[in-house]
Amino acid sequence: MTEWAQRLENPLSSRLRDPATSGYAGLLLGAFAAFLAIPPIQTRTVTWPIVVGIVAAVLGIWTAARGRRRLGIGAVVTGVVGIGLGILATRSGVGNLNAAFNASLIAQMFAFSTPLVFGAIAGMFSERSGVVNIGLEGMMLMGAFWGVYGADKGGTWVVGLAVGAGTGALLALVYAYFAIHLRADQIVGGTAVNFLALGITGYFFFQLYHGNYVSQGVSTIPNFRIPFVADMHFLGPAIGNLNLMIWAGWALVIGSYVVVFKTPIGLRIRACGEHPRAADTVGINVYGVRYGAVVLSGILAALGGVYLSDGFGGGAFNDNMTAGRGFIALAAMIFGNWRPFGAFGAALLFGFSSALALRLQVYSASASTLFNVLPYVLTLIAVAGVIGRTVPPAADGKPYRKQ
Amino acid sequence: MTTDVNEPSETPEEAAETGTLAARIALKQRAGGIVVPVMTALLAFLIGGFVVLATGHNPLLAYRDIFNGAGLNWVFHPTTNVANTAAYNLSQTLLQTTTLILCGLAVAFAFRCGMFNIGGQGQYFIGLYVANWLGYDFAGMNPVPHILLAVGAATLAGALWAGIAGFLKAAVGAHEVISTIMLNWIAIWIGEWVFGDGGPLQNAANKTVPISNDVADSAKLPVFWGQQELQGLHVGFFVALAALVVFWLILSRTTLGYEVRAVGFNPEAAAYGGINVKKNLFRAMAISGAFAGLAGALDMTGYLYHYGQSDIPVSSVGFLGIAVALLGRNTAVGTGLGAILFGALLFGTTHGLSSNVIQPELAGNLTYIIQGLVVLFVGADVLILYVWNTRRKLRPRARARTKAAAA
Amino acid sequence: MAEEVVLEMKGVRKEFPGVLANDDVDLDIRRGEVHALLGENGAGKSTLMNILYGLYHPDAGEVLLHGKPVTFASARDAIQAGIGMVHQHFMLIPVMTVAENIVLGMEPVRDGVLLDERAAEARVRELSERFGLVVDAASLVSEITVGQEQRVEILKALFRGADVLILDEPTAVLTPQEAQELFGIIRSLKADGKSIIFISHKLNEVLEIADRITVLRRGRKIETVPREGATEASLARAMVGREVLLEVDKTPAQPGDVLLSVEDLHVHDDRGIEKVRGISFQVRAGEIVGIAGVDGNGQTELVDAITGLRKLASGRIEVAGRELHQATARRMLDAGVGHIPEDRQRRGLVLEFSIAENIALHDYAKPPDAHWGWLFPARLVTRAARLIREFDVRGGGPLTRAGGLSGGNQQKLVVAREIARDPKVLVAAQPTRGLDVGAIEYLHRRIVAERDEGRAVLLVSLELDEILSLSDRILVIYEGEIAGEHTGVVSEEQIGLEMLGGKERSAA
Repeated sequence: MTEWAQRLENPLSSRLRDPATSGYAGLLLGAFAAFLAIPPIQTRTVTWPIVVGIVAAVLGIWTAARGRRRLGIGAVVTGVVGIGLGILATRSGVGNLNAAFNASLIAQMFAFSTPLVFGAIAGMFSERSGVVNIGLEGMMLMGAFWGVYGADKGGTWVVGLAVGAGTGALLALVYAYFAIHLRADQIVGGTAVNFLALGITGYFFFQLYHGNYVSQGVSTIPNFRIPFVADMHFLGPAIGNLNLMIWAGWALVIGSYVVVFKTPIGLRIRACGEHPRAADTVGINVYGVRYGAVVLSGILAALGGVYLSDGFGGGAFNDNMTAGRGFIALAAMIFGNWRPFGAFGAALLFGFSSALALRLQVYSASASTLFNVLPYVLTLIAVAGVIGRTVPPAADGKPYRKQ
Repeated sequence: MTTDVNEPSETPEEAAETGTLAARIALKQRAGGIVVPVMTALLAFLIGGFVVLATGHNPLLAYRDIFNGAGLNWVFHPTTNVANTAAYNLSQTLLQTTTLILCGLAVAFAFRCGMFNIGGQGQYFIGLYVANWLGYDFAGMNPVPHILLAVGAATLAGALWAGIAGFLKAAVGAHEVISTIMLNWIAIWIGEWVFGDGGPLQNAANKTVPISNDVADSAKLPVFWGQQELQGLHVGFFVALAALVVFWLILSRTTLGYEVRAVGFNPEAAAYGGINVKKNLFRAMAISGAFAGLAGALDMTGYLYHYGQSDIPVSSVGFLGIAVALLGRNTAVGTGLGAILFGALLFGTTHGLSSNVIQPELAGNLTYIIQGLVVLFVGADVLILYVWNTRRKLRPRARARTKAAAA
Repeated sequence: MAEEVVLEMKGVRKEFPGVLANDDVDLDIRRGEVHALLGENGAGKSTLMNILYGLYHPDAGEVLLHGKPVTFASARDAIQAGIGMVHQHFMLIPVMTVAENIVLGMEPVRDGVLLDERAAEARVRELSERFGLVVDAASLVSEITVGQEQRVEILKALFRGADVLILDEPTAVLTPQEAQELFGIIRSLKADGKSIIFISHKLNEVLEIADRITVLRRGRKIETVPREGATEASLARAMVGREVLLEVDKTPAQPGDVLLSVEDLHVHDDRGIEKVRGISFQVRAGEIVGIAGVDGNGQTELVDAITGLRKLASGRIEVAGRELHQATARRMLDAGVGHIPEDRQRRGLVLEFSIAENIALHDYAKPPDAHWGWLFPARLVTRAARLIREFDVRGGGPLTRAGGLSGGNQQKLVVAREIARDPKVLVAAQPTRGLDVGAIEYLHRRIVAERDEGRAVLLVSLELDEILSLSDRILVIYEGEIAGEHTGVVSEEQIGLEMLGGKERSAA
């Protein structure tokens, strides 16, 4: 029986006494401490965040003392950080807070997180089949440039999406050949792919467009306006008029969950990633599955890139536009423990952080930097195993040799 | 435990795949000697040339111009007069080479212990920041202690920055690739902050620009070829050359180097011999970071003198270090030669090219493409296995082996 | 019971570099029988079965299924032909459920695309009830016992319609009770008309469950006999044979003080199974104690514990009178225990290092090799040159890469290093594995020489001939316990019997 199933079977009392419960409660409370000070609650006295934060820290210590050390430390840290952020917020002007934290922040959070969602799901497919894909950044960049190019030359954003996806697939195919057939070191190969993508997109950006933002009026991916909702007071700016790709991203999360965990092909993909020899002996074509997964990850990452330039970016491309988003997407995947909803949650968190950083730039450069750095710090903490063990697929990164 | 002890032992190809990273690279080196790195580089340049050709430019002219732009034509007419273009270009190339040697060593040292240090860029930046800070803050000190302070502290800072990843790997087994990539970006954002509006290192004179202060004169490294105001070649060049020697000395003449190499080749046997594997993982990363931090320090005190927000995204020396180290097969000599090659590419493509041959921006990106191809080919053992197989086919005993293993 | 022959292997021959694994072997399997394949380590049992299962291709000979010749290009073909194999190392995915593991590759589908978990579980339950293989279809493989894992593997084969089931050393990982449960399962499979090929080296089990027994020795088939009339003694004779490979001249031992004392040792393996179940013995200076046994009976864990590479569950180890409580490898080395490891390439040597650097592996940090962290390669080289001469290591000089030496010379290198440290106790685990005759001869003479120098030698080997020719005293290990102790002259059959779990019993 899975751990969760077992937990649900236990009577309530023992569940409450389980250190994991207090640990996660501590984490939530720590986050809540900061949340108290921002709109809509926006308490102006420092006491509330401090109290809640202390409770979080206490829960953390209790958790650590009863065996779950890393989770406990995580809760303590969250509590302290929550207090800090709460204090910061209560010291800021109300007007500033209201301007920074309003409904459109939610829309921006979705917008920022969408490339990450595409990237994280892309990475998940690849790694679930056993191939580490550090080259996501490069594949996303290819999509970003060639997607706009396709939209420009092809006339519509649909062509842009197709062309972008195609180039992502192509780069992924090259990478897959080196990683699977030639059994090259996958980290080295992924790094090489990133360099290649940077060089190729930069080169053709100058060759074809002379470094200027692609021609004016290029077809961009449209928004999807929900008829009644868009006019509502809060939901309107929040979700009433989001880009099509944002909705596509959500569909992707649900779809990938179904595919990976509820279909036979998903089972086979996971088998290749956990124990390729076992999969081979029952007749699964491990090479074929891995090739497919890697190419799919290239397509998805590239689609995220197309959104970045042709949706989010309004049809403009910049040299090295992805600026590390591929790596943040990888981080989201790891943070989410290689599961779609976990990766989605992490992507939202990181997207929120980036959106907030953008807004705070006007008020406080240091706060802005803090939120820009947050995704990376969180991932570092995650791989250090503080919040719980991150467990990659067992054969992740190991080339498979058919007998 | 199988019941059949007569299973065939590994073929060299299997050994090449299943050994540790360090062992695999060492195998490559034995298999190919110097031929393979040269072939790798040539192949990369060839493919790069095709890209240039396919987009309507003349690759031969482009490469010739890069060659001249890098000042490599200096060898035809050597002179110490810096006013001479070739001499000046060469001095600039060597300036880049200095940085690349150290960044390459940063990657190479970690590889020797079986780890992949992608964090050279971040460690380099941290070295830059610390050197800038101490170089500015202690103005008025005597030059020698000031330089030693700034450079030494920056080197230490780089070591600590990499040490975080090393510690995580030793303590909880966190993969150093992920942690160093994260630390890279954290270092980048720290830079955005310290040089930005109101940041601690932002220049005191003009608060509207996100650029740092200049390093004090007492902290600037002496220049020996050219003039300081015109970005001459500074003594850091010799420090880099010394670093190559130090790298070699550590690995071949100290017990620390012995342990690092043993852990890199075979952690099990190393543990069996009484070596503390975890301690060495940390140490190797820290030493790697020290090299990269030193690179940042020398650049800051040698010719940059200040740094700004806009400089951060364009710096790529840390990543080029990866190509340098891999091309040089993680050896001192190889790293030195690889650094010259990429230093020439780096400088030759950004200056000295006339637009009717190929624009500088295109050439700059060409460097990335070539770099990517080099790393790709090195990582793929393609050439190596080809060479290895050709040599083996000439030996009859080996032929019987392949037949049996393929059966 | 129909005597229909389902499967036949005729004249099968398979050669690997340096060794003939199967030499003209014939085998026939009848419907509904349990056919045991018996033999020592290296007899060729696994190779033969790997050929049957499509993992290897025979150099000569043929395989006939229901009278028709077949060739298997891979395991997939064999599975489709109705042959299933349960390997010693299970091919199960820990993070997936039992049902998922079983249906992998042949998954039931509903609504066109979705995995039908319920159908999978139902089918699994149906099979498990039919054959008495009790297992929970919904549990994760990581949470079930090893015995249950084995049942899952069997179900996997049955799910794919196996008529012939090959079980490779199935009781190696089971407790005695689980083994009995397995036998019950085998009987019900038999009743259903399935044929079972049971690979084993354990005489008592084979006599309990098999209908016919084929004995292999050194790649050749010795005989195929029905169970009736076979005794442990007759089988042991067939398995072990009479040839003795090497005779070593040695003077009688003159044992001195006790240098190694092991008392009531209990050691677990990596899976937590107790592999050493209360072993006690002593080794004196100037004697060679040989531990004979078939692979997997606890020798590896015993050696690991004595050399400090594995923790003891309980028990006591004393070296030269001093107790060494849970000592690390380093402390054992310093206490005077030398170790020639079982796997010289993985543990004993850093293949990329030179001979000189390998010799220094234990003591590189101490003078004269190094001083205050500074290494003196020249001194390593001089010492290595001396040892190379002394131990006749051929294939290169001090600077040659260890990986470039032949197996025999690599082992000589390891031996040189250990002996040069002047240990009190020398533990040699499989010292001549994979070596040619010349190297074997040299090492044997060396070991005896060290004994004569006054060292206490503990020899652990899978080669009975080696044990017989070198040891002054022989201990037989079976299932983690000492099954017999012999000094002086003893017959191979007696030892063979004890190694295989028999005492002086005959078939029931």
